[in-house]
Parts: sequence; structure tokens; C-alpha cells
Amino acid sequence: MAALDIACPFCGLVCDDLALADGRVDARGCAKSAAGFARTPSVAEHRVAGRPATLDAAAAAAATLLRGARLPLISGLAADVAGLRALIALADRLGGVIDRWGSAAQLANLSLLQREGGMTATFGEIANRADAIVLIGSDPAVAQPRFFERLVRPRHALYRPGAPHIAFIGRESAAPADPAVSERILVEGDRLLDAVSTLAALANGQKVRPEIATAALRGLADRLAAAHYGAIAWDIAAFAPPLRDAATSILLHLLRRLTRKTRCVGWPIGGENNAQGASQTMLWQAGWPGRISFAEGTPQHDPWLYDAERLLMAGEVDALLWASALSATPPPPTSVPTVALLAADAPPTSAAVEIRVGIPGIDHAGTVMRADTVVALPLRAARPSALPSIAAAAAAILAHLAVAA
Amino acid sequence: MITTLVGGSVFDPANGLAGETRDLVIADEQMAAATPGAKADRRYDLSGLVVMPGAIDIHSHIAGGKVNLARLMMSEEHRESVTARGAATRSGSGVASPSSFITGYRYAELGYTAAFEPAMVPSNARGAHLEMADVPMIDKGAYLMLGNDELLLRFIAGGAEQERINDYVAWMLNATAALGVKTVNPGGISAFKFNARDLAIDAAGPRHGVTPRQVLHALSRAVFELGVPHPLHVHCNQLGVPGNIETTLATIAASEGFPLHLTHAQFHSYGREGDRRFSSAAALLAEAVNRNQHVTLDVGQILFGQTVTASGDTMAQYRNRTFAKPDKWMIMDIECDGGCGLVPFRYRDQNFVNALQWAIGLELFLLIEDPWRVFLTTDHPNGAPFTGYPHLIRLLMDRSFRNDCLKAIHPAAQQATVLGSINREYTLAEIAITTRAAPARILGLTGRGQLGPGAAADIAVYQPAADRERMFAAPRHVFKNGVEIVRDGAILATPAGATHVVRPAFDPAIEGEIRRFFDDHMSVRLEHFRLSENELADAGLRLMAEACRPRSRA
Repeated sequence: MAALDIACPFCGLVCDDLALADGRVDARGCAKSAAGFARTPSVAEHRVAGRPATLDAAAAAAATLLRGARLPLISGLAADVAGLRALIALADRLGGVIDRWGSAAQLANLSLLQREGGMTATFGEIANRADAIVLIGSDPAVAQPRFFERLVRPRHALYRPGAPHIAFIGRESAAPADPAVSERILVEGDRLLDAVSTLAALANGQKVRPEIATAALRGLADRLAAAHYGAIAWDIAAFAPPLRDAATSILLHLLRRLTRKTRCVGWPIGGENNAQGASQTMLWQAGWPGRISFAEGTPQHDPWLYDAERLLMAGEVDALLWASALSATPPPPTSVPTVALLAADAPPTSAAVEIRVGIPGIDHAGTVMRADTVVALPLRAARPSALPSIAAAAAAILAHLAVAA
Repeated sequence: MITTLVGGSVFDPANGLAGETRDLVIADEQMAAATPGAKADRRYDLSGLVVMPGAIDIHSHIAGGKVNLARLMMSEEHRESVTARGAATRSGSGVASPSSFITGYRYAELGYTAAFEPAMVPSNARGAHLEMADVPMIDKGAYLMLGNDELLLRFIAGGAEQERINDYVAWMLNATAALGVKTVNPGGISAFKFNARDLAIDAAGPRHGVTPRQVLHALSRAVFELGVPHPLHVHCNQLGVPGNIETTLATIAASEGFPLHLTHAQFHSYGREGDRRFSSAAALLAEAVNRNQHVTLDVGQILFGQTVTASGDTMAQYRNRTFAKPDKWMIMDIECDGGCGLVPFRYRDQNFVNALQWAIGLELFLLIEDPWRVFLTTDHPNGAPFTGYPHLIRLLMDRSFRNDCLKAIHPAAQQATVLGSINREYTLAEIAITTRAAPARILGLTGRGQLGPGAAADIAVYQPAADRERMFAAPRHVFKNGVEIVRDGAILATPAGATHVVRPAFDPAIEGEIRRFFDDHMSVRLEHFRLSENELADAGLRLMAEACRPRSRA
């Protein structure tokens, strides 16, 4: 018996048209969804100091460990919205730092939106409307396997008659294989920013010394100007970290410039494992999209100071609460005392407290947000289990903190 | 649990009380009839104090994707204005774009017990409700943005019968757990996606050739016939454009007598007289409202200072981007059903246009005669953060204070307004109407905005003071569902409020048509677009359905 209309939380597209038969994704799925839904629990036991424990005993031990810390770090955050709401509550209560693990690229995009704003659209709008699409930096189908099917060639686009023109700018080795991509402007990796810069300058009507693929970029700039609705998607990780701010800024400028005469929107590719849900939930609960410290009693944001990876490496935190269910990633190796809320298919760790949690969309219902931020989608329990959700585990820890207070 | 509130001066306009001394009785969560000699578990002596129902904000952008984008862009205020966690409260940040918990706390601290999100984009309904689940202490609800959605425009263009449009609107209200219908720049948000930069009320929009007038008519009639209590909530075309009064008056005409609520009317009351081609048309609109009993409005008063404008009106927000301060703005096209635009603004009293906007809002408040049809709003945060309400109340109640403020604004704006010649001062009874009884009535919230037996025990108690700003900024007591939640500025408890919705009936056959559209064109499945009661309950929301009584016009 197949379950229809299943939503998949593992990448930023959150495709919601999957069918599952005996727990397996059918032909509509992609490799990522197939792997995600095939995850099977290997460890279902909670542990305290390596010994099996009840959820309540583990939550009590977690509360004791975290309460004793001067600056606990809450990270991982591959969780559904309910889990995130509970983890932020816990961070607030503990006076800790909260930051999603691996959020550097997302933060690079968000910090520019913070400073400059943007011109963007949701996936449904792009799929129905965009007649010229530019992909920058990498093949979006790597992060989002059904990108071309869902965004570029939907069965019936509402507002454009034919297929869109799709161009790629980037390294040859990163170029999309999808046949929908009709133009490839190949540049060396370290020249990507120069190429984007050139495109923006040409769209701006500036004179440019013929250097990097100038003729092709001029053609592309003209095409965007002539399009009814252009769309530019970029992979910020394709730019070296020191160049990311500049790259985003140039792209946002390009969008603003084109919008004076026609319509053009852009967005950064990303949002796996509900990354967007994490930034959105932190924004509404605390006013910042990540890298938040509650140590002073109020939410404080600093993209460098409160970077989870840096804090852990530098030994500036003395406890770690790791919470990851959508991804089986274990906590990073650390000597810092750790409480781990782990999916049941993650290998055993050396964490002082290990609480095994369910995967949203597999073990329990939940909500995740698509990478375009507007659309949140409900997840059903594909194979309901008795494993607690991250929300339930965090609430149990919070309850023990409250009792002790 | 019986609580008595003894000896207060009660302003309860829905029950005919305008300051009479009355004892009130709370039985658990609700008001109860006073029974002489009954024993109380708790007794509050409110002698010398003013007692009103909890206040209701009919139009305040408190949640949803655009509010979160506003938070993202308003990083300056989130750094500067922070609130520490307390024993019963969460920490947070922001003023114009406060974080969710802070939104609830600040409202409750002012004696507000309900606020309604006026611009829920259909495709963002789940996100908006999840966010509102984290707004504590007050009741909530949302108006669904329609009028730029592909399917409605298609129905109208295809000459669909009104019944079919009604079914569609009713289906959408049910699917998104909304309380009412709002239309924002009808047809204009869609037109902007086709690169139109303006859409006049009788201009045929791109693709479907539908005019804003047709949208207004179809939606206002649908809301009326479905019996949704709140009239169509209208953000007119051409927001902020000098001379837009013509469009606003034409919008009233387009309703053809169906009830209509004009929102943030201040932004739609502009003439183009004078050297600067920008003038007040508040008197014209006030006169039209005084004459048309089926029209209500909220003002959208501006107050001077920093804020951020957050609107579904991408066309207007794109036009306004040049005024952004700080200089950044964001526009988003959404799912073939809506959009949103963010532009930070700093309203300055020495800027002619801003100063006149300020005067225009006050003119509307003071020239519209019936306080039951004008509601106190700043269109939070678009005109100002809602925390400016006590100041606004003082402007309305205290003529000499108002005239002092008038003397401080841009001189040419002083010349361009009749404000200084208006003697009217709002009474406490009128404040109770415009901030409590009238919003409850126009939203169909029978158990709110009044203190009769059976009503929710949502109550604000104030210490009278000549300085009305001080008085309304710090209630002595606030009760939510019978629980004292604020005392002398301190939060005592943070219970969750209700989420008000309507559940109008419809012919289920419409779902087949909507499903085909979703199957063919939309990026989510119909089953996922629709919210389930279970998921809302799991998120911590308590739904409360207000009755719809289908109507037909003879």
C-alpha cells in the first residue's frame, strides 16, 4: 500500500509529491530522498555515561550537565520547526549560544540581505514565470536533485509560452549536466567573481575591457534585459569565503539594476535539512537568523563571535547540546562535555548523555520550511515510532531545569 | 474561581456604560452577572480607577514571512533594543519589528488583549500561524490576502458566477484558518509581476484583463454573501500616491453598497493641490465615510521616528524604495498568489510630506463623526510601532497637546492642514469605542471588546491621569481570560490567547477545480496547502470559530 503526497525534508526544495511503498521512495523521488527515507534506526537506547537510561533519566542528566556550564553551545539544529522552537527556548533558558552547524554559507547570504535587502521570488513563481534563468557557481541539482524538474520545466507553466533560456556561469567541472541548460559560460574557479562582476557591469551599461568571456556575458546581459522575468540562482559556496560578501552584493546590485526596466529576481541555493526553518524560527523568536548568544540574558548576534565551529575549536564553551535528526551527523569530536540528541541511525558517540530521537517525516509528523522561506510544509510520520522528537526531548530537559530552578 | 472587581468606573460601550461605577464579576475565564452577596475568591478594589475591556488592534503586522524579513533587515534596532528574559518571560529584541514573544508582552503591557495580522498570503498561512503560536498573552487571527491570486483573477476573467467565487473564497478561508479577507492593491500585485508599475481602478490588468473594480466587487460581495462578519478589508490601489483620494472614493463606489473596510486610510487620503502637489484630502474621505454607513476604516496614523514598512503591496513598495532609510529594501513575488515588500522608513516632522501625513491621519480621526466606524491603528509597523498608541491617544484626547505638537512640524505642513481649527477631543468613552467595542463588532467577535455576562474576561484597568499618554502606557491591571497577566507594568503570567477563525460553508464541488489548478501549476500539493486542525493544535494554537450567517441582498 503506497502512501501518496509525502513531503521530503532533506533538501531545500521540500518536494511534496513523493509516494512511499514499504517505506521506499518511488520513481518520483531522487537519490537524496531515497537515502533519507531508507534511513533505519540502529540504536534506540538513550544512554547516560555509556549506560542505558530512560528518557526521563537522560533528560535529568542532560539538565544537570547543561545547568552547570558557564557557556553552553546549542548546535546541530537539523530539526523540524517544533524542535527548533524548543531548542531556542532551551538556549534562552540556559543563557547559551545557539547556532546551526555549517551555517557559514547561509549566513553570508543573510548578512547581505540584512544590509542591502533584495529582489526575490518563491519557487512557484519562478517555475511558472521565469523565461531566462542564470545559474551561478555550481550545478543546483547537486544540492537539489529535482531542481530542473521542479523549477525549470514544470509540466504547465502559467506565464511563459516555451522553455526558458538557461545559462550557467562557473567552472567546467561544476557545470550542470541537465540538457535544459543551453548556455555554459565556463570560467576558472578563481575568476567566478570577475565573471559575475563583468555581467553586472555590462547590464549596467558600463564599458568593459574584453577579458573573461565578455561576448557571451554581454549576450547574457542583453538577454536578461530583454526577458519578461529573469531569475538568477547562485551557490555562494562556489566563491571563496573572503569574496562572498562582494559576490552577493554585486548580484543584488545586478537585480536592482535590471528591475528598473523589467523584472528579475534572485536567490541563493541552499536550505537543506530545514536550514531555512532554523533561520526563520530564530528570527521570529529572537530577532536574529543565527549565531545568537543569550548569555547576557538578551539575544545578541555576532556572526564571528558566536560561530559554533569557532567557539568549539577555541574552547570558549564548556558544554555542547548537539541536536540533529534530519541529518545523522554526530557531534564534532570535542573534549567539551556533550549532550547529544541524535537520530537513531547515527553511530554511537562518546557524548556524556545520548538521547535518541526520531526523524521528522519518518518517525513523527512535523513542519519544515522550503528554501524560499515562504512555504512551510507538513511532514507525516511515514513509519511512526516511539522515539521522542527533538521537541519532546528538549522539553523534557527544560522541565528538569525548571524543577531545579 | 470567582473574582470581583469592585468600584471601578466602567467604560463598556457595547453595554451602554460610559464611566458609571459598577462592580464586575469574573467566573473562571468569563464575565458573569453580578449577584449581590456572592462570595468572591479574589477581590480587587478599583475605586477611582478606569475599567475597560481589553483593547483590540484590528490591523497590525505581527507575523508571517514579511515580518520576519523586516526583522532580518532591521538589524540596527535588534541590536539596540533588547529585552532580557524574566522568570515568566522569554528574551527578545526589536521595536518596529519585535520578536514574537516581545510582540505579545508589549501589547499586553498596554492593555491590549487581541491583535490581528492583516496580510496573510495564502501560501504563507502555515508559517504565519506557526509564528503567531509564539505570540503570547493576546488573541490573534489573520486576514487572508486575495485579489491577486491567479485562480480568482481567472474566475473573474472567465465570467464565473458569483456563487463559484463565493465557494472559492470560503474554501480558501477554511484551508488557511483565516478570520477575514483582505485585498491589497487589487490586481496590482499580480500586475507588478508582469512589470506593470501602476494599475488604476478601471485599468485592465495584464493577462486576464481584470480591473481592480471587478476584484473589489467580486470579493466584497463574496464576503457579504458568505456571512463573514468582517467586511472586505481593503488596501486600495495607489497607496501613497498624491491624488490617490480619487481612487479611494472610487473604491467606495466600487463596493456598490456591500460593506467595506478601508485600511490605513491615511495613506490613501492624498490630494495633489498646492505648490508641492501634495495635499490633505482627509476631509473628502471623512465626508464620504460620514455619508456611507456601510464603510468603516482604520487610520494607519504615522508617528515621527524610525520604523519599517512591511506590505503585501509590492508595486507600492517598489515605488517607495527611493525613500528607504536606512537605504535598503526588499521585494518578493510569492507563489502566483501575492507578494511582499519591505522598506525601512524614518518619518520626520521637518519633512513636509511626513508632517502632512501625520496631520492627515489626525484629521481623519477627528472629522469622521461616528467612533464606531473608525479604528485606532498605526498599521504597525508601517505608520509607527504599536507602542506609540498611548501617545496617539493623547493626541486625540488633548487638543492643547495636539496643537503644541502641530506647532513643531514643518511650517508649510501646518499651513496645509485644518488640524489646528478642529476642537474635537476624544472622550474616554470614545476611546473605549474605537479601541475596544467597535473593532470587536466589526470583526464579529461577540465575546470580546465588551464586559457583559459570557464575554471573555479580557480587561484593562487604568489609573486616570490628565496626561493620557502616561495613563494608557501603564495599566494598573490587565486580565486575560480572567487571569491577571500584568500588574503595574510587571508581567505576571503569559497564557496563550485564542486564534479567531471563520468557517464559512461552501459547495465541496469547488475543491475539484482548485485541485486541478494545484495539480497543474502550483509548487505544493493541495493537501499540503490546506492546514489541518491537528497541526495547528500541535503547534499550540487554540482555534475559536466565529459564526458566519450567509446573507443575500434584497
